[in-house]
Amino acid sequence: MTELTLSKAIGTGLRRALAEDDRVVLLGEDIGALGGVFRVTDGLQREFGHERVMDTPLAESGIIGMAVGLAFRGFRPVVEIQFDGFIYPGFDQIVAQVAKLHYRTAGAVRMPLTIRVPFGGGIGAVEHHSESPEAYFAHTAGLRVVACSSPQDAHSMIRQAIACDDPVLFFEPKRRYWSKGEVDEEYAFPLGSARVVTPGTDVTLLAYGPLVPTALDAAVAASDEGISIEVVDLRSLSPLDWGTIQASVAKTGRVVITHEASEFGGLGAELVSGITDRCFFSLEAPPQRVTGFDVPYPPARLEEHFLPDLDRILDAVDRVLGRANSLSGSTHAGWSA
Amino acid sequence: MSTTVSAESDMTSLEFEPVQLLDPSGARVADSHYDPLIADITDARLAALYEDLVIIRRIDTEATALQRQGELGLWPPLLGQEAAQVGSARALRADDFVFTSYRENGVAYCRGVRLPDLVRTWRGTAASGWNPYDVGMATPAVIIGAQTLHATGYALGCTKDGVDSVAVAYFGDGATSQGDVNEAMVFAASFHAPVVFFCQNNQWAISEPVGLQAVRPIADRAPGFGIPSVRVDGNDVLAVMAVTREALDRARSGGGPTFIEAVTYRMGPHTTSDDPSRYVDPVQREEWAGRDPLARVEAHLNLTPEEAAGIAARADEVAREFRAACTSLPDPEPLSVFDHVYAEPHSGVERQRRRYAAYLRGFES
Amino acid sequence: MKDFALPDLGEGLTESEIVEWHVAVGDRVALNQPLADVETAKAIVQLPSPFEGVIGALYAEPGATVRVGAPIVGFESAAEPVADRAPADRTPSRSVERNPVLVGYGAPVDTGARPQRKRRVDHPVFVPARGAALSTPPVRKLAHDLGVDLSELHGSGEGGAVTREDVVAAGSGTASGDRRIPVRGVRKATAAAMVSSAFTAPHVTEFLTVDVTRSTELVSRLRDAGQRASLLAVVAKALCLAVRRNPTLNSRWEETEIVEFDAVHLGIAVATPRGLLVPVIRDAHTLALAELTDAIAALAATARAGETTPAALTGGTISISNVGVFGVDAGTPILNPGEAAILATGAVRRLPWEFEGGIALRDVMTLSLSFDHRLVDGEQAARFLTDIGRVLVDPATVLALV
Repeated sequence: MTELTLSKAIGTGLRRALAEDDRVVLLGEDIGALGGVFRVTDGLQREFGHERVMDTPLAESGIIGMAVGLAFRGFRPVVEIQFDGFIYPGFDQIVAQVAKLHYRTAGAVRMPLTIRVPFGGGIGAVEHHSESPEAYFAHTAGLRVVACSSPQDAHSMIRQAIACDDPVLFFEPKRRYWSKGEVDEEYAFPLGSARVVTPGTDVTLLAYGPLVPTALDAAVAASDEGISIEVVDLRSLSPLDWGTIQASVAKTGRVVITHEASEFGGLGAELVSGITDRCFFSLEAPPQRVTGFDVPYPPARLEEHFLPDLDRILDAVDRVLGRANSLSGSTHAGWSA
Repeated sequence: MSTTVSAESDMTSLEFEPVQLLDPSGARVADSHYDPLIADITDARLAALYEDLVIIRRIDTEATALQRQGELGLWPPLLGQEAAQVGSARALRADDFVFTSYRENGVAYCRGVRLPDLVRTWRGTAASGWNPYDVGMATPAVIIGAQTLHATGYALGCTKDGVDSVAVAYFGDGATSQGDVNEAMVFAASFHAPVVFFCQNNQWAISEPVGLQAVRPIADRAPGFGIPSVRVDGNDVLAVMAVTREALDRARSGGGPTFIEAVTYRMGPHTTSDDPSRYVDPVQREEWAGRDPLARVEAHLNLTPEEAAGIAARADEVAREFRAACTSLPDPEPLSVFDHVYAEPHSGVERQRRRYAAYLRGFES
Repeated sequence: MKDFALPDLGEGLTESEIVEWHVAVGDRVALNQPLADVETAKAIVQLPSPFEGVIGALYAEPGATVRVGAPIVGFESAAEPVADRAPADRTPSRSVERNPVLVGYGAPVDTGARPQRKRRVDHPVFVPARGAALSTPPVRKLAHDLGVDLSELHGSGEGGAVTREDVVAAGSGTASGDRRIPVRGVRKATAAAMVSSAFTAPHVTEFLTVDVTRSTELVSRLRDAGQRASLLAVVAKALCLAVRRNPTLNSRWEETEIVEFDAVHLGIAVATPRGLLVPVIRDAHTLALAELTDAIAALAATARAGETTPAALTGGTISISNVGVFGVDAGTPILNPGEAAILATGAVRRLPWEFEGGIALRDVMTLSLSFDHRLVDGEQAARFLTDIGRVLVDPATVLALV
C-alpha cells in the first residue's frame, strides 16, 4: 500500500499495463516529454520509449481513428484526450467505428481501446475544459463507460479497463487529480460494479467521479442533523450496477442523484427511470436529481452557481425526507402529479 | 527574393526561405516583389507600428504578472509573436472580419477591442469579452482550428452579399493537423472564398514541436489544395504587412484564398501555468531571442531618447489601464448563469432559473 | 503591512526555493519590478511585484523553501494602482488555495475542514398540488391490498398526505388510543391449535376437590430429607398411575381408529413471555418422583428461556396445566390437539374441611379434567379423576396401585 495522488495512481496503473502487455500503446497530445498536461503519464515515455508512448499530431479524430487501425492490427491502444471539451472532433470515430466494429464484424474484430478523458469542472478554467460528456457515450451501444473517484479506484479501474476487450471511455475527475489516497496495486474488483462508500439508512445518494467527495461531505454534514445518508459511488455508468443501486434504494426508500453534467438527458434521468421501475413500491418520495443546469458550462467566476455542491445536495435530501426546503413551493408539483 | 509558392513551383522546402524585408539587425532587405506593397510605410508610420509592438508586449507582460498575482485565471502569452499579429492586423480594413484562436490579443488590440473587454474571458467573469460586430472580430476560439471553417463560411457570405470584405483566420502550427483546418482549405478552394489563412507557426503546440505536425513547411500544404501560399518571417512586421496586403488584395479582387505561414517562435510558455523548461531546448530559444521583432525595428528606427521614452510611457499607461480594468471587473450575478442560452424563451431554462432563485433566497446573504 | 504570498508558478508546484532577493527592506519598488528569483522544477522564475510601495519585510532567506500561498514579502505602504472604481468583490473561490492548471485558476485544494451546510434563513412551507389523494407508492399498495379507498381518507401526513397509519386505521376501525399488536409466532400457533382442538373434539370437563394435605406434607418431608419433590410431580405421578387403570385417557382419535398409547408422554403447560407452550416429558411413566420433579423444573426453565426445541413440543399423549399458580381454583382447559385429556390443577388453599369427623383447616385443591368425549366417557373420566384424587388424599394408597 502506498499513498498516491489520483493522477499518480492512474500513471502507476498505466505503467503496470505497459509492463505487463507489450501490445499496450499510449497515444495522445503532450503525453511524452511533457508527461501530459496533468502529469498523469509523467516518466512513461522515458521508461518505455517513443514506440510505446507516442505524442500525436493535434487532431482528436486522427488519434481515435489511428487507434482503431492499431486495434485492427492487434494492439491495445490507450488514448488520452487532453480535455473533455476536445473529444468532439473524435466523436464520429468513437460512435461510428469504435462502438460498432465488434457488432459489425460479428465479433471478429475487437476494439479493446481505452479512451482516457479528464472531465468535469471546478478548476476555474476557460471554455471547453470543464465538460461532462459521459451521457453521449453511455447512450451509445458498444461502449463501456466508467468514472473513477479515488486513487484506489483509479488505479484498479484503469488496469481493468485496459485489460477489457471492449472499448472503455475512462473518465477521470480532473479537479480530484491532486487528492491523495492509499493504493493497493493488487486490489481488484469487477469493472462494472458500484460501491457503497458509506452505509446509511435514511437516504441513498448516488454519485460518480468528481462529486463523490462532495457527496461524502454532504453525508458528514447531514449526520450533524441526525440524517444518515448512504453514499453510493456508481463507478460504472454503462453498464449500471443495478444490484447495488436497487438494494440501497429498497433499504432507504429515498434517493438523490447528483452529477455535474446538465440535467436534461443526463445519467440521472436513466437512473430515475430504472429506480422507478425497480423500486416503485419502496419509494417514499420521488427521486431527486442535483445537477448542472441546462446551460453551457459558465465562466470561471460563475461555475459555483452551476456545479452541485453540499448545500444543493442537502436541499434535495430535505425534499425527499419531506422537510421544509426551498423548492417545495408553488413550482413543485407534489407527489401526486 | 519572391518566394510565393504556386502549385507549379518546383522549389524544395529546403530552399524555401521566408519573405523578409527587415532583418534581425534592423537592416532593410530589398525585395522587388514586396517592396511596393509597403512603400507607404514611412519612418513615422513604422514608428507607429513600433509603438503597437511595444504596447502589445507590455500588455502581455502585465497580463502575465496579473495571472501570477491571481487576478487572471489564465493568460496565453504572445511574447515573440507581436510582429506577426500587428503586421497582419494593421493591414486590415474595418469591414474585414477576423476569426482567431486564443493567442491573438495583439490582433484584438489592433482591431480596437477595449482593454476591459480584452480581459474578461481570462479573468473568467464572462464567456467572452466583446460583441464581434463592434470590432469586426469574433471572440477567441478555444477549440483548435474551428475558426478556420467559420472564416471560410463568412467569406462565402461576403461573396453572396457582393462586397469585397475579406475574412481572415488566425491559427497556429498545431491547428493545421486538425480536420477542420484541412476541410476549411478544401471548402475555400472549392468556393474560391475571399479568405486569408494566417498561420503563426510559433514552433510549438504546448510541448509538441512543429515537426510532429508537419514534416515539410506548413506553407507547402496549401498549394496541394489549390491555394497560393507564402512563407514569411513572422518576426518582421514589414514583411508580414506586405504579404498580408497582397493576400487581401487577391481576395478582394476575386482571386480567392491565400495561405500565409508566418514563421515565428513562442518565446513564452503555452499558458501561464505551463513549464517549458521540460521540453524546450534553451539553445534554440536563445537563437530566436536574437531575432526579436521589437529589437530590429528599434534598431532600424534609431529613435531619439525622447521618442523612446514617450513610447515607453504610453505603454506603461496602457498597462496601468489594463491592470485597473482587470482588477475592477465585477463578478457576475449568480442568476446570470441562465442568460443568453437561447435567443428565444425556453421553458426548461426558465424553470431552472426560478428554482435556483428560490433556492438562493433561502440563505443568509 | 500588506503581504504578498508566493503564487503558483507552474503545474504541480506546491513550494519553491527563494534563490535571490532583488530588493531589500526599505526599498521603494515599482509595480512589476522583479522582487526575487525563485526556483521551480528546473527553471528560475522572476516574481514581479504586485504593488508599488515600500518593502516592509522579507519573510524568507535566500535558500529557504517557501510553500505556495505563504507570505514572502510585506509592503509597508502599498499603493494599489488607481482603479476607475472600487475593487471588485472577491468571490469565495478567489480566496481558496488552488492547485494550478494549464487552463485556469485551478482546482481548490482540500482543506480537510469538517463539511458544513450554509445557514438558511427562509424555510418555505410545502404546498401540495390539488387533485388526487396525496400518498406514496408503498402506502397506495397497502391501501389496495386492504381494500381501502384512499380518496375517502383524511390524510394526517404533511400537506394532507395519507400515511400508512391512516390506511391501516381505516382498514380496521381502530380508534386512537387503541393498541394494535400483530399476531405472530407462538401466539399465532397456539391460537391455531386451540381453535383446531376446541372445534374438533367434544370437550367435557369434570371437577374434583380433594384434601391434599398428606401430599403437601409428603413433599415437605421429602425435601427436608434432601430429596427433590414437588406437588405437581406428585400429581404427575398420580396421573401416570391412573392412566394404567384408565387407558382411554391416554389415547388419540384417528377417525377410523383409536390409538391407545403405551407410554405416557406428559405435556406440562408453561406460561412464557412468548405465550403458552406445552413441552413434553417423554416416558413420564418411567420416572421416579425426583426425576419427575427435575424434569418439570427443567422443562419450565427451558421454555421460559425460549429454548424449547420444536421436537420437545410434539409427541405428547396427555397434559397437565397448573392454573393454580395464577391463583385460581378450577378451569375448563382446552385439550392439546391430538390428546384425549388435560388435567388442570388449581391453587392449594387452606380451607375448613372434613377431617377425622371434624372440621379442620386442610390444604384443599380442585382438579379439573377436560376430556375428548369421543374417546372417553364420563364414567371413565370420573374413575380416572378419582384415582388421581385418591393418591393425592393419601399418597400411601399408591402401594395398592403398583
